[in-house]
Amino acid sequence: MRSNVSAELLILRKRAATWILLGIWTFLGVFAAYVIPYALDPQDAPLGLVELLPESVAGNLVSGFPFFGGVFALILGVFALGSEYGWDTLKTLFVQGPSRGSVFAAKLVALGLVLVAFVLLPFAGGAAASVVIAQIEDAAIDWPSAWLLARAMGAGWLILAAWAALGVLLGVMTRGTSLAIGLGILYALVVEGLLSAFAESVSFLEPLTQVFLRANGYSIATALGAPAAGIESNGPGSFGGPFVDSVQALVVLVAFVLAFAALAAFLLRRRDVA
Amino acid sequence: MIAQTAAPADDHVISTQALTKRYGDAIVAVDALALRVRRGEVYGFLGPNGAGKTTTLRMLVGLVRPTSGQATVLGAPPGARAGLRRIGAMIEQPAFYPYLSGRDNLRVLARHAGVDETRVPAVLDQVGLSTRSTDRSATYSMGMKQRLGVAAALLKDPELLILDEPTNGLDPGGMAEMRDFIRSLADGGRTVLLSSHLMGEIEQVSDRVGVIRDGAIVAEGTVAELRGRAGLRVRAEPQAEAARLIGALPDVEAVTSRDGLLEIAVDTAQAAAINRTLVHAGVAVSEIYAQTASLEDVFLELTTKDGGGGS
Repeated sequence: MRSNVSAELLILRKRAATWILLGIWTFLGVFAAYVIPYALDPQDAPLGLVELLPESVAGNLVSGFPFFGGVFALILGVFALGSEYGWDTLKTLFVQGPSRGSVFAAKLVALGLVLVAFVLLPFAGGAAASVVIAQIEDAAIDWPSAWLLARAMGAGWLILAAWAALGVLLGVMTRGTSLAIGLGILYALVVEGLLSAFAESVSFLEPLTQVFLRANGYSIATALGAPAAGIESNGPGSFGGPFVDSVQALVVLVAFVLAFAALAAFLLRRRDVA
Repeated sequence: MIAQTAAPADDHVISTQALTKRYGDAIVAVDALALRVRRGEVYGFLGPNGAGKTTTLRMLVGLVRPTSGQATVLGAPPGARAGLRRIGAMIEQPAFYPYLSGRDNLRVLARHAGVDETRVPAVLDQVGLSTRSTDRSATYSMGMKQRLGVAAALLKDPELLILDEPTNGLDPGGMAEMRDFIRSLADGGRTVLLSSHLMGEIEQVSDRVGVIRDGAIVAEGTVAELRGRAGLRVRAEPQAEAARLIGALPDVEAVTSRDGLLEIAVDTAQAAAINRTLVHAGVAVSEIYAQTASLEDVFLELTTKDGGGGS
């Protein structure tokens, strides 16, 4: 299994798309969380200037994961499996002898490891931006507790993992990348976005929206200090609630990861590689 | 649903019984195929495009599940790890990660196969790709990709090689090299199942040949067996009289007329006697020669719809 994972890491590591997605996500994440709010007027931020200072880095950054980060993770997940169909490389891998299950598991593990970078880099960039703002504003540089930072990064990883697992499933289902990415973004924007927006006025939608990746991701983010008011005005990734209990959200996201992965594994094992 | 078989007879590396693959109700890609590949031979799997060759090979390596029938490859069910570890396969067009170099592609495969990466430079050298091994595989010509595909198949130093159209995209020199290479692999004790629609390739390399049409084997044997016994061709005037005289001779099994020639099923040693008989009867003989059917003739006869049937 170790060598399978190392093979998959080589595939991901040498792929330009991995680095491009990581770079754009990091840049956009920091830009949206720090540069734009500071350029507009830091006092307009839901929590004021304090939201942009190091002490708020955990909540401020993690609020970008449930939608914007999720879309990047979704694309990464689609690439991890969908491209194999496009290039016809699954047959090349399978005839070498590893079981389909072990190839799939190795791909998931490698993807999970790459997602660590998708968490660490935006956090590093965000932390650096918050220090710069603190210095410009002559504010104190107080960091959140290591425990809160660790929980925020863990939550960020879990949110990205859920979206990446959805990407993997879509890649396997559609046996490609284009349709999978299209469907994934359609789901993120239209299904989750629109239904969540209407949930306040259409009562029967509310229970449905509570199981969405968006609702559960943002619920974890708010539990870690992300301002709900900021999430409400988060553009296409906005969410006005209702938020669910953070433990419930955690369980739902883990369940999504497992369910998406299990369904994708089932399809990969059952279907012909033609 | 495939039924798993008991181990095949000792000398059969591949054995299938009534192996069938259907796509829906209308398409039967492989129809009750019975294939036996003996240990140490190069078995040429010959058939026109769409005859079911690649689907058969995909079933043998577990990429495609048979609809029904039985198969055993190296004593294991198709796709079983125990079997695949001893099989090197290149199915259809070789497929690689385009952004990885040839070497890195093989490193990925070696890691998945659990093979020591020291095999990578060795197989690259074997197929003559060492100098381009660090280039991205997307920049490779078709022929180079074929070579890389063969290198991937050799990574595990396999007992059985399954090669699907390995000379596709190669220039004539490359094709000849590949044929020699395949032959050398077999001479080293490996079994090779070689699929192709190129008769020359199969004829020059294979110990035995199976001809597939509409998903079923319609003939099987050595090239010589498939080509059949040599006969005589005679051009003579008047042809009807020549045919009557030859047909009356002892040992002549059949006389047929085609394209102004008489095709005579007879021992070729009878050529002089036939010539003498015709000349003595006043028939003008302009040509008389021995001819064996080419594999192409046999192939066309077997694989055209109104052609031959079983062997």
